[in-house]
Amino acid sequence: MTRHTALWIALLLAAIAVAPLLTASNAALNFIVFVLIIALAAQGWNLLGGVAGQSSFGHAAFFGTGAYVSALLQLRFGVNAWAGLAAGIAMGALVGWVIGFLSFRAGLRGSYFALVTLAFAEVLRILANAMGFTGGAAGLLLKLDLGFANLQFSSRAQFLWLALGFVALGLIISLRIAATRFGAQLVAVRENEDAAKALGVDVLSVKLRAIAISGAMTAAAGVLYLQYFLYIDAQIAYGVWISVEALLAAMVGGRGLVLGPIIGAFTLHGLGEATKAFAGRVPGIDLMVYGGVLVLVVAFAPGGVLGLLAKLRPKSRRSGETA
Amino acid sequence: MNTRFDRRTLLKGGAVALTGIAAPSIVRGQAPATIKIGILQPVTGALAMDGEFGRTGAELAIADVNAAGGIKSLGGAKLEMVFGDARSNPEAGVQEVERMQGEGVVAIVGGFASPICLAASQAASRYDLPYLVDVGVSDQIISRGLKNTFRFAPGFGICTKSAIENLVRINEAAGKATKTVALVHEDGLFGSGLAKLMATELPKHGFEIVETIAIPTPSRDLSNVVLRLRSLNPDLVIPSTYYGETVLLARTMQQQRVRPKAVYSVLNGAASNMRFVKEFPEAADKIMDCNHWHDPRNPKNAELQKRVEAAGKIWNYNTPLNYSSVRLLADAIERAGAADRAKIIAALGSSTFAEHLMPYGPTRFENGQNMGAAPVSTQVQDGQIKVVFPEAFADAKPVFPVRG
Repeated sequence: MTRHTALWIALLLAAIAVAPLLTASNAALNFIVFVLIIALAAQGWNLLGGVAGQSSFGHAAFFGTGAYVSALLQLRFGVNAWAGLAAGIAMGALVGWVIGFLSFRAGLRGSYFALVTLAFAEVLRILANAMGFTGGAAGLLLKLDLGFANLQFSSRAQFLWLALGFVALGLIISLRIAATRFGAQLVAVRENEDAAKALGVDVLSVKLRAIAISGAMTAAAGVLYLQYFLYIDAQIAYGVWISVEALLAAMVGGRGLVLGPIIGAFTLHGLGEATKAFAGRVPGIDLMVYGGVLVLVVAFAPGGVLGLLAKLRPKSRRSGETA
Repeated sequence: MNTRFDRRTLLKGGAVALTGIAAPSIVRGQAPATIKIGILQPVTGALAMDGEFGRTGAELAIADVNAAGGIKSLGGAKLEMVFGDARSNPEAGVQEVERMQGEGVVAIVGGFASPICLAASQAASRYDLPYLVDVGVSDQIISRGLKNTFRFAPGFGICTKSAIENLVRINEAAGKATKTVALVHEDGLFGSGLAKLMATELPKHGFEIVETIAIPTPSRDLSNVVLRLRSLNPDLVIPSTYYGETVLLARTMQQQRVRPKAVYSVLNGAASNMRFVKEFPEAADKIMDCNHWHDPRNPKNAELQKRVEAAGKIWNYNTPLNYSSVRLLADAIERAGAADRAKIIAALGSSTFAEHLMPYGPTRFENGQNMGAAPVSTQVQDGQIKVVFPEAFADAKPVFPVRG
């Protein structure tokens, strides 16, 4: 990582952090909070799918596990919300490790791995939907009880800072990993798994560590979703939508790049929201823009928004690649 | 872009807030101000069809209130709709509530689906913003103790209780014509809950449950389910599924000539939907449903239905339900005599509103739930959806059993 990149990251985080001071509009803050939650889930995806090259189509498995574990601990066992957060993240890592162990050990790669993760997420969704313990299809509703101890904030700004803190932590972890031997091993696995193995990289262990960290990050996003909206059901927590959101944000922003998920999440949802503000009366117009952006990115900027920016800059100043 | 959007919203919000503070002096003396009310419906995504039905009802109610001179206690202030698309998911619902709050609405009506209603009413409760649920049947909506949340329509508990009672009464009136029952339910919130309840309650009344089949939403093919029904040959099929699956089930049963003595659905997405009746009249014929429906003896419904159909739209229960909910809110604002949230909440809580279009009697809220609300049993007869039970509201007699 260069000083240049670090500066950009610091600026971006600072810009988001001061947003509550610049606007009193809770609509704007609510929007940023939601995008940050998506960005955090996408950071998890990016570590596994972008950096390590193991594209998952089932990050809902982690998102939902984080949300459900925390909700169940709070509702069924009266555990504190912060402890629920920690437990949710830990379970996300564990579920990641288990799914990784089962699929990587069987040598699943590429689209086969993507399919099997989708299957795991769907199995969890159906289980959560069918079992009485998880509230079945009626879902779980956390009681509205504002207060720091309950991880519920009366002001949207405070939640924004909490979510931003998690995203910043995710960035730090991603940057640290990129700078270590482990990061280099991940890239090696992505670029050529057999070559990496030949060079003495323990491919299975590297992949397992990656999916566990990835699962923990996305699970954190799930807990934040729960604490923010206070209601989850199987479709929300384990639904395909969040797998797609996590994957798209990372891809549109710039797959494998540290800032990719954040840029991608803000680009996709920001454009949608902007369209709504301009052409508000037409329902669904923002979704059309969302789709349009996707088509354009896939067709013309496979490296995502950041990849496109890097291409546009003169060669001598290129420095953004950190993965 | 973002800052421009923010500043504009802020300015608008500020202007509205100032008007609100100054309201008593301004409103009484000078030209009537407008009162903004938020209408939240999912008009894109999986629930788009229902969202449109709801929006139509709300629009018509606002037009009627304004045409009749607006809110008289506020100097004839006109209602202005601030519409929000909940996009069939709770996050978008919350986002729209925040926007509406920014635009200075005095209350919000709608939501349609339970998850949207749960999240949106909670977001509104942060601002003590009155929230009137239109359809959302989950009983969690009103059991949370939120002071701002009201539901005009019956919840899940009332609906299922009535559904079972009505079925037992209809069956007994027909000399206990049916005995064996197959339940086909969607595996989400309402279908599973309902199936569980039916499985425990119906045997107490002499029914025998021969099979319970869960199907996912969406389902693309129900041939196997229907084959199973054919082999079981139950007297009664009880589907609790959404629109697409019910249509598919009815059509597949028609194609495979599976003809139970009756089809009695509960809170069904299609059995009381005119689109289904119009598009597949043969498959829909004689299907019964226990659901929200308008009061057919109230002449205002026929009039409203004509207006809806003249605009090329389909009539469904969401339309009179949202129409009534908005009228109920307008009545509360009228009695509150101010565009003040606390006063509107108090006025809603003490409402005895009776000029609605539903078969409910006068409104009486208890912890936010309208205790007068109840579903009715309907049946598709001669290409029309008729109310067949309870008799006080019925415009037709039940054909039960359909086949001997």
